[in-house]
Amino acid sequence: MNIETTLQQAEGLLAPWNKEATHPESNRLDVVIASGSLRHAVTALHNAHWGYLSAITGLDLGADAGQMEALYHFCFGAALTTLRIRLPRTALALPTIEDIIPPATFFERELHEMLGFKIAGTKSNDRLFIPDDWPDEVFPLRADFSIEQAKPVEGRQTDEVLEAGVVGGNKFVVPIGPQHPALKEPGHFEFSVDGEIVTAARMRLGYAHRGIEKAAEGRNWIQNLYLFERICGICSHTHSLAYCLGVEKLAHVEVSTRAQAIRELVAGLERIHSHLLWLGVAAHEAGFDTLFMYSWRDRETVMNLLEQLTGNRVNYSANVLGGVKCDIGLEQATAIKEGLNFLETRIRHYLEVVTTDTMFLNRTRGIGTISYTEAEEFGLLGPTARASGLVRDVRVEAPYGAYKQFPISAVTETNGDLEARCAVRLNELLVSCFAIRAIIDNLPQGPLTVKMPRKIPAGETISRVEAPRGELFYYIKSNGTEHPARIHVRTPSLCNWVSVLEKAVGRQLADVPMLIAGMDPCFSCNDRMITTVDRSGSRQTLSWTQLRERGIEYYRK
Amino acid sequence: MNIKNDPLWVNVIKQIRLWARLNSVWAVHFNSGSCNGCDIEILATLTPRYDVERFGIKLEGSPRHADVLIVTGPVTRQARERLLRTYEQMPEPKFVISVGSCSISGGVFNGCYNVGGSTDEVIPVDVYIPGCPPRPEAIVDGIIQLLSGLRDGTLRKAEIPQTTGQVPA
Amino acid sequence: MSALTSLTSLLIFPAGLTLILFGMFYEWVDRKLVARFQNRVGPRWFQPFADIVKLLAKEQITPKVVNPFLFFGLPVIAVSGALTAALYVPLIGFAPVRSFTGDLIVTIYLLSLLTLCIGLAGWNTSSRFSLIGATRALTQLFAYEAPFLLALLGPALAAGTWQINLINDYARGHWMAISQPVGFVVALIGLMGKLELPPFDAPEAETEIVAGALTEYSGRGLALFKVGKSIELIVGITLVSAFYLGGLHGVLPFLAKTLGVLFLMAMLQSLLTRLRIDQTVGMWWRFGSILVLAQILLTIVLKGDLL
Repeated sequence: MNIETTLQQAEGLLAPWNKEATHPESNRLDVVIASGSLRHAVTALHNAHWGYLSAITGLDLGADAGQMEALYHFCFGAALTTLRIRLPRTALALPTIEDIIPPATFFERELHEMLGFKIAGTKSNDRLFIPDDWPDEVFPLRADFSIEQAKPVEGRQTDEVLEAGVVGGNKFVVPIGPQHPALKEPGHFEFSVDGEIVTAARMRLGYAHRGIEKAAEGRNWIQNLYLFERICGICSHTHSLAYCLGVEKLAHVEVSTRAQAIRELVAGLERIHSHLLWLGVAAHEAGFDTLFMYSWRDRETVMNLLEQLTGNRVNYSANVLGGVKCDIGLEQATAIKEGLNFLETRIRHYLEVVTTDTMFLNRTRGIGTISYTEAEEFGLLGPTARASGLVRDVRVEAPYGAYKQFPISAVTETNGDLEARCAVRLNELLVSCFAIRAIIDNLPQGPLTVKMPRKIPAGETISRVEAPRGELFYYIKSNGTEHPARIHVRTPSLCNWVSVLEKAVGRQLADVPMLIAGMDPCFSCNDRMITTVDRSGSRQTLSWTQLRERGIEYYRK
Repeated sequence: MNIKNDPLWVNVIKQIRLWARLNSVWAVHFNSGSCNGCDIEILATLTPRYDVERFGIKLEGSPRHADVLIVTGPVTRQARERLLRTYEQMPEPKFVISVGSCSISGGVFNGCYNVGGSTDEVIPVDVYIPGCPPRPEAIVDGIIQLLSGLRDGTLRKAEIPQTTGQVPA
Repeated sequence: MSALTSLTSLLIFPAGLTLILFGMFYEWVDRKLVARFQNRVGPRWFQPFADIVKLLAKEQITPKVVNPFLFFGLPVIAVSGALTAALYVPLIGFAPVRSFTGDLIVTIYLLSLLTLCIGLAGWNTSSRFSLIGATRALTQLFAYEAPFLLALLGPALAAGTWQINLINDYARGHWMAISQPVGFVVALIGLMGKLELPPFDAPEAETEIVAGALTEYSGRGLALFKVGKSIELIVGITLVSAFYLGGLHGVLPFLAKTLGVLFLMAMLQSLLTRLRIDQTVGMWWRFGSILVLAQILLTIVLKGDLL
């Protein structure tokens, strides 16, 4: 089925509620509907198995326009359907869809927290990213937000926790995080345990919430490149790739094939470093420190390659708007090939270890099993989904950049347990190595960069990229100036949390770190929730450095 | 250390104590909202290529067992309380190392609404290691500078307070 | 023995100070070996000593909710138990300082006193993590204690006595690792469980419960517990190698045999993943006990024949 037919099918399904349908890009369909028909439209798409809900974006159309918009994005292969609902600022009521599509709950909470949409019928209205001492009716992403409004509320903690350690009657709450050896990144989980068995799980994110989306509105397109790169240190290249692809699409700029190929190569190297990192961390969680040490030792090889290629081990900044800034000459090519030879041998060895080492299998086989239907229902993404047989891989379903010329084959397993997730990740690396070699041998000629305008033409675009953890979704809107109007990022880890919370119940406390590690969480990716907010100088702080003051002045609207 | 007035045995004990503190550094790591770049470079220092265990540096889990608090990240509003609490849980003598541009000044997140900006507004910092992220070698160098400062007595805290506090569990 | 000799042997040589120093040396060997297995350089030779001195010089924070008598007393009791147990084993190749019929049982229980103290300490400080750590430590105690005792019983049966001194003498020339291989394996692995070394370190699983029972300890209390653990390491290894590796008569055989056992333990530590607490208990009660019982039966039968 090609994209056109898919979109026509969607249009047909949505016909009864369609107020206005447009095709802003060749693979996108925008359908304006009324808020009352939201549930019908979603049910129609869901029952016809038309793709999956990828993200929900909220837009503030400006204090003058007096309206806000909610966008529900559904993806089916390379085709995208967006349901658009416009509401007046004074009456922001939307029905929930979390009973139809469970993962929507996180998206809806985000929508509520950031923009103030009132979602009727949700199970939980707990704060997701914003601190608990934030005042109630203040929404960071609104155009009229200013930091003075967000003074901490008296008497509330920044993160409200469950009753501390209820001991008695065998009910006991074990907090994990935000400072905890298991978590290299802060997040807060609470597991009620009965002896060693988990009886309930609760999660609080937002410790790494930095207000990036809002900050982006105050910076120009080039500055934002460096901001978005640092959403996550581990998948930094994929973030900057998604950003660049989106902006280049808006500017109608065609990047040279050589630059696209180099981008894919760096993405492949990043995947190798990310999965080896993950393997070490998972082994450390399981108590298998030897594997942790060995895999990180081998990971140093790929870090050297990345440094040789781009100049930095982490946060490589290989992308610029319009192309890449690093080239692959003969020296780099030889080094990469030698490095890959070594890495492939080691990856094969690790594959053998995770599938045959009895004691490691004790901690991974049959644990956290998610079936194919559950994976679909939870809306999982990335290797976590692929381990259950669900092929969710943007590089395969909607190839972008050089993936059409140097394709990747999807790697799946069927068991859906932790062991399968290990196997999927390691096998993916072998596929990546193969693709990298193909790129080096067939690198197209051409310039590294193309000229990009400073002011990006007005418009909206969506760019989807496959990060090591799953699908990364960027919605970028420009109003023709040097600053973006809105950038919304939906990271894969947000969708995958459900798998931990649901599957932890009924298992041993000792399995919890492994479950968390199994979905390869990236808190920094989750929490970057946006909203650019200008910071005025009215906070009670001690001395400010010159740089910071300058920064505040610059971003003051 | 007032060498003139202390008897010999007191000096010897002080020297031994200093020697022990220089050679056995237990660190606890706290991420106050960083992008993880700095954290993975800190973890990398434990791995075979850099191996800080040979300097006596061990990564501990409990703040009560640690001497050094390694902080990364632009202190977000949620993390601030936890950071303070972690610092208070550590017994004296304790030191703080601020790793990465974000921890020093907010880095690229300077100006964002949920971000406090700099670690030294929350807890006193002894050593700053700039970088985005700093290489593992730079992190090791920072720790060595901390130890040199401790040895020469040039750290921010001249006197190490001897307190035995009663704190809640 | 006069009081002075007893006191000297308890406090300075071969127990007491010498033992503590030896304990640190062995701890260093263990950490160095594990590091080398992990392809790293590992700590310097004086590292454990520096660790203990540093801990002694640190502020001791007392959590509010503890019973102060227990909080301060437990580390002391733990170390005393370990030191006393050392009096009955052939340390550094010399004959045990004290000896009486049945001292095998006493020694084993003195060693367990350490684990018990850790469990109580965890319960006392009552933070969530230390409680779970304490529970796990005690659960593990129930798991391996019986098989470990039985594994030591095997050589005792062969020697026909409950006195460590005499078993040591009987073992000279008799390498019971060869005649009772199953017992040897169970004793070795049981020792790793007793010492809470990986793969049996669930009670102090860093990634799950921070630092287990000792999470809230700092300064002197922690230092004493650590000293107690390194003494337990030596005493345990001495016991196992004395029984199974042909007795310990002399400094050189002592060093050679105990370091050999340590090497084996370091290898096992590096090769294996941590077991969950239920898997540990399950394994011990299913395999450990049955195997060692079979071994003992065999020993009794054979001994009967030989008699």
